[in-house]
Amino acid sequence: MNVDYLVNSLYLIKPELAIASALVLLVLIDLIMGNNKKFLPYVAIAGLIAAAYFIIGQFGMNSLAFVSKSNKGMIIADPFGAFFKGIVVFASLFVVYFSIKSDEIKASFERHGEYYTLIFGMILGMFFMISASDLILIYISLELVSFSSYVLAGFTKTALRNSEAALKYVIYGGVSSGIMLFGISILYGITGSTNLYEINSLIQSSSIPNLTFILSGILIFVGIGYKISAAPFHFWTPDVYEGAPITITAFLSVASKAAGFALLIRFIKITFIKSVDSAGYWQLVDLIDWKTFFIFLSIITMTLGNFAALWQDNLKRMLAYSSIAHAGYLLLGMAVLSNQGMIAIIIYFAVYAITNLGAFFVVMLIANKIGSENIDDYKGLGYSQPFLGVSLAIFLISLTGLPPTAGFIGKLYLFIALVDAKMITLAVIALLNSVVALYYYIRVLKNLFLSRPANGTFEFKVSFSNGLVLVLLAAPIIILGIYFTPLVDLAKNSMQILGF
Amino acid sequence: MIEQYIPVFLVIAFAIVFAVLVVFSSKLLGPQRPTPEKLSTYESGMKPVGSTHERVSVKYYLVAMLFIIFDLEVIFVYPWAVKFRILYNEIGTSVFVSMLIFLIVLELGYLYVYKKGGFKWE
Amino acid sequence: MSLELFLFLVFAAVAAVSGILMITRSEVVMAALFLILNLASLAGLYLLLNAQFIAVVQVIVYAGAIMVLFLFVIMLLRPEHEKIVTKISGIRTFAFIIAALVFVQLAYVILKSHPGSALNSDVTASVNAGTVESIGTELYTNYILPFEAAGFLLLAATIGAVVLAKRKFE
Repeated sequence: MNVDYLVNSLYLIKPELAIASALVLLVLIDLIMGNNKKFLPYVAIAGLIAAAYFIIGQFGMNSLAFVSKSNKGMIIADPFGAFFKGIVVFASLFVVYFSIKSDEIKASFERHGEYYTLIFGMILGMFFMISASDLILIYISLELVSFSSYVLAGFTKTALRNSEAALKYVIYGGVSSGIMLFGISILYGITGSTNLYEINSLIQSSSIPNLTFILSGILIFVGIGYKISAAPFHFWTPDVYEGAPITITAFLSVASKAAGFALLIRFIKITFIKSVDSAGYWQLVDLIDWKTFFIFLSIITMTLGNFAALWQDNLKRMLAYSSIAHAGYLLLGMAVLSNQGMIAIIIYFAVYAITNLGAFFVVMLIANKIGSENIDDYKGLGYSQPFLGVSLAIFLISLTGLPPTAGFIGKLYLFIALVDAKMITLAVIALLNSVVALYYYIRVLKNLFLSRPANGTFEFKVSFSNGLVLVLLAAPIIILGIYFTPLVDLAKNSMQILGF
Repeated sequence: MIEQYIPVFLVIAFAIVFAVLVVFSSKLLGPQRPTPEKLSTYESGMKPVGSTHERVSVKYYLVAMLFIIFDLEVIFVYPWAVKFRILYNEIGTSVFVSMLIFLIVLELGYLYVYKKGGFKWE
Repeated sequence: MSLELFLFLVFAAVAAVSGILMITRSEVVMAALFLILNLASLAGLYLLLNAQFIAVVQVIVYAGAIMVLFLFVIMLLRPEHEKIVTKISGIRTFAFIIAALVFVQLAYVILKSHPGSALNSDVTASVNAGTVESIGTELYTNYILPFEAAGFLLLAATIGAVVLAKRKFE
């Protein structure tokens, strides 16, 4: 324990430091500049770019920070964390741009300082969540993300549904994080350590009370399941996604979920792993049957998400259910419990992030103009606004997982992983689910292109910068759908978790 | 172990006994001849109207919330203050700097509340 | 009967009785007052477990600050004007099942798993772990990062509270 130890550790958490300094800077600028809030988004973007620069550096790292004699390390810098932090920063950059353009956010102009500060609070929490290797840091980061997102979900305060969303989010969030803390305390009680690596070596060497351990593992999963909106913990998702400002909905559906999945993978892989065999399958400590657990959870999650989405008329609400379904597909990748499954998750997530951001961007642009997110109000959009219509079509097709979009590649790798692991039944169930999903995505497309618009509904112009951003989101989906080698290479690089 | 806390328990016990004693002794010793008029609420000679429970303003909530946050902040300072000398000898200034960063972040919050008028009663 | 056992019985009895009284009161303020009593007796139990720092924090933060917030919120909402939720059929049964489940699992954890038997059965360390000194050492050396993160957590909470509670912004 000396100063060097701290300074060396600080080199490993540069992205977090960049975000933290940007957060402090945002508060200060908000306080000093008073009513001049023009600079805030630019400061935010600068902070994000700095973080992105440091994250790229982390792809080559593989070490633990804050290691001491009595502690095996608090936080990990590795390619796996770098990838998910990259997704978070990518989503944040777009969300900041969306926020500049969103009418909802513009309306609450006097609170812009708080808005960007809380977004940075969320980002900081997610970064810690993605790379933490200690239960205490995991819990604090989860709370940091939750606190900020509760407030952001009810940020505009104008509509009733907005406050309702925030309230529901707080209640579900409070209960599930309380349950998670209970699980953490039991785990600490039986192992005497909060460090994931230390718990791992303890449960490999000594006999552990079985049922208690299962209990604590599942209780901890409740907190993570809430963040990724997996099936029995998903109830908040539709209401919050519908009620929150669109920018925040987009952020929750991409970044928050990315952090949740990163935490889940890290928690399972570090805490429970015994060895990885030559084919890349994980041999877990046989205390908890995670495989069965994930299989059931993924089947419930995707089926429920897809079938509930069928009845939705509000596009935001439909995308909420579809994001639940996607969490189900991603859990399939977890159920495989292999390196191949993890590569599939990473590919799927990269595609999902781009696609979902794009879809919410189009919804936002249209809501800005016509003030509605109802699917019936989209009738004929494809005729009067072919550019928006076609982009939305690309995003929805990619969400369905049809070629030639990148969504197909994501699903393809997932199914290959399933088939390789001889989980054919599960693959068939997932396939049937995709067919159900096709129905509700196509329903939107039908409204876009097969109905005539009512007169003069869509008489507006998409500005050049908005068009450019839309192309930036739509083009990769087509390109990665055809030429996906770089994505697969990135995924193979990103699956390295420290220690295994 | 627990014996060292006996004085604390004694104080607590004394407080409880004293409180109970005061409340009940006035009830027992004082003369009590209640009439309906005496028992009714005094509202400047008017007939009492409505419930005594008024809704309080949301402003109180903000005060209580900020109180909790700064209360928690102070909690973190206790162990630091107790252990500061020993830790300073072991690891040097970093123990001071870490608390400094923590306090700067939180005083930023304080400054924020102050500037935004969170302490004003509108 | 040793002093510790005697004190444990007193605190445990007060905690259990005040807990039951808390959930059976129809007057919400009374329920909140019993919660304070419950939290205070828990502080006594923490003290018996050699968690002195946590005991003090329990009194200062929970029985003090958080209960103030509770009472303000009760007065803010005036729940006696609300409909009584218990009329919903089955909710009592549901709550009872959940409570029974939690009780069984806690009883199991305590009785069957012998905490600290196989792993880390370092009794002196666990006795010392609760003192202010050892918490200080851990917090400002090994757990320095979560500590700073908690600072940001509190900052986010401050800003969030102001955003939610203030109507007009300057």
